[in-house]
Amino acid sequence: MNTLAYIIYLLITYLITVRVGLLFFRNGRIFIMELVHQDVSLTDAINRILLVGYYLVNLGYAALMISTWDTILTWTDLLVSITVMTGKIVTTLAVMHYINMLVIYFIGKRNQSILHP
Amino acid sequence: MEKSVNFIAYLVYLPVVIFLTWYVAHTLFKNSKVFMLDIFQGKSEIAIATNKLFETGFYLINLGFAFWIMEIGYDVIGNRDMLEALSTKIGGFCINLGLMLFLNLYLFFRGRRKAREKTHALTLMPKTEM
Repeated sequence: MNTLAYIIYLLITYLITVRVGLLFFRNGRIFIMELVHQDVSLTDAINRILLVGYYLVNLGYAALMISTWDTILTWTDLLVSITVMTGKIVTTLAVMHYINMLVIYFIGKRNQSILHP
Repeated sequence: MEKSVNFIAYLVYLPVVIFLTWYVAHTLFKNSKVFMLDIFQGKSEIAIATNKLFETGFYLINLGFAFWIMEIGYDVIGNRDMLEALSTKIGGFCINLGLMLFLNLYLFFRGRRKAREKTHALTLMPKTEM
């Protein structure tokens, strides 16, 4: 039954990763715009590179986690392991997201203090 | 030997936590728009983007945590056992949700205070330097 679990798990993580990635892609643009002083082409380039990096890290991590999976014998096991694994991935995603926001905040602060000492 | 009802417990737990998270996030971030507009001094584009980012982060961290702690480590047998296990899980998750809510509120109030201080300092600056 492990194969079924892997298929469902990969489907769920793929959907979450892509959806969240698009959300970040759309809403993070304005912050990068501010950091590079309204340079549109540079902003789009940085934004796209960040999106690809995000997809690679997340899907790679999700695929790696499969190697740590227990053997599944019952339907209850299936539900538990899929939910717990998804929970771990989503929590990691959240932590990375908050770290990103902090980094952007600090870079913005540094830029401001250089411009207006 | 009676059959364990872990599966039913999970099936009850999942919709409850998802609904709770959705409800709290919906209420919090509907009302936080005012704060965001205040913090960014009316620049609505960046305020809405920040609001959305915080909302996504809130959903991710709370749902991730809820899924992570779902597993009940022993065989639940009978209705009474199931209710006790469920109330422990859901109660713990509610407390976590409350803490997160207050953390977010603290961040909003702090941001507003900082923004106020900044504009205040600017208006108080002596004009002789210019």
